[in-house]
Amino acid sequence: MRTKSLVDEARQIRVASDLVRLGARLQVLESETTLSRERLLRLYKELAGRSPSKGMLPFSTDWFMTWQPNIHSSLFMNVYHTLIGSTELDPVDALIGAYRLYLDQVDILGAEPVLSVTRAWRLLKFFECGMLTMTPCKKCGGHFVVHKYELTDHYVCGLCHMPSRAGKTKAH
Amino acid sequence: MKTEQIREEIRETNLAYLMLSQRLLREDRAVAMVRLGLSEETASILEQLSTAQVLKLAASSMLMCRFRFDDEMLWGLLTSHSKDGSVPAGIHASILMAGQPLAQAA
Repeated sequence: MRTKSLVDEARQIRVASDLVRLGARLQVLESETTLSRERLLRLYKELAGRSPSKGMLPFSTDWFMTWQPNIHSSLFMNVYHTLIGSTELDPVDALIGAYRLYLDQVDILGAEPVLSVTRAWRLLKFFECGMLTMTPCKKCGGHFVVHKYELTDHYVCGLCHMPSRAGKTKAH
Repeated sequence: MKTEQIREEIRETNLAYLMLSQRLLREDRAVAMVRLGLSEETASILEQLSTAQVLKLAASSMLMCRFRFDDEMLWGLLTSHSKDGSVPAGIHASILMAGQPLAQAA
């Protein structure tokens, strides 16, 4: 057993439970806690009532650049930065808090949450390793997710300049 | 409106605001700070107020809360009734709101 302190272990179980309730994949739990895989599996089954989905996690940054995901990701990142910048939260607690606020905001607007908690976690990893960053839109001043080395001198966001078929991927 | 009535309504609004702030802060401090738009300092002050202090504060002739945003673009989005659906405008406003720094205690 790697975790020594009971208090620390309780904290990790709380973090893992929060993440499972938000729908996180097992890989997220493994990365964000030091609990053993067996214990995480048991916790997952107990809370979700089923075995976790298997398979690889999405790994491309391109998804975050398409119209609707970009907007949802940008909303999440703005909330996350405000949270982490003005409180003393651990990054994983900020992920949980920001994701809850994101879900809440999307729900109020009557929209579907496009960004899953696993995607949100992946997004933060892409920021950490410097593949993605935020840039201000020249028109509205809001901050949006972009590739790190993209030319952003004249960046206009997807909401100020909406593509004609924006958000019409699914038939309604 | 009579002065009496104005005072009463301000007191009620203050009371509701202060009590909601305290409850949210005690539940999940960091998330509450973002929801309420409060800085660390203000959050600590509000958190520690006793019921007697809350009642005293509420009974003021001035409102304890005020508008968070003074961005013209944001107000436009929040009040728009455009035909292209309110979801993009709503998300746009949410992004701009989430990007605003939390208020510092004076």
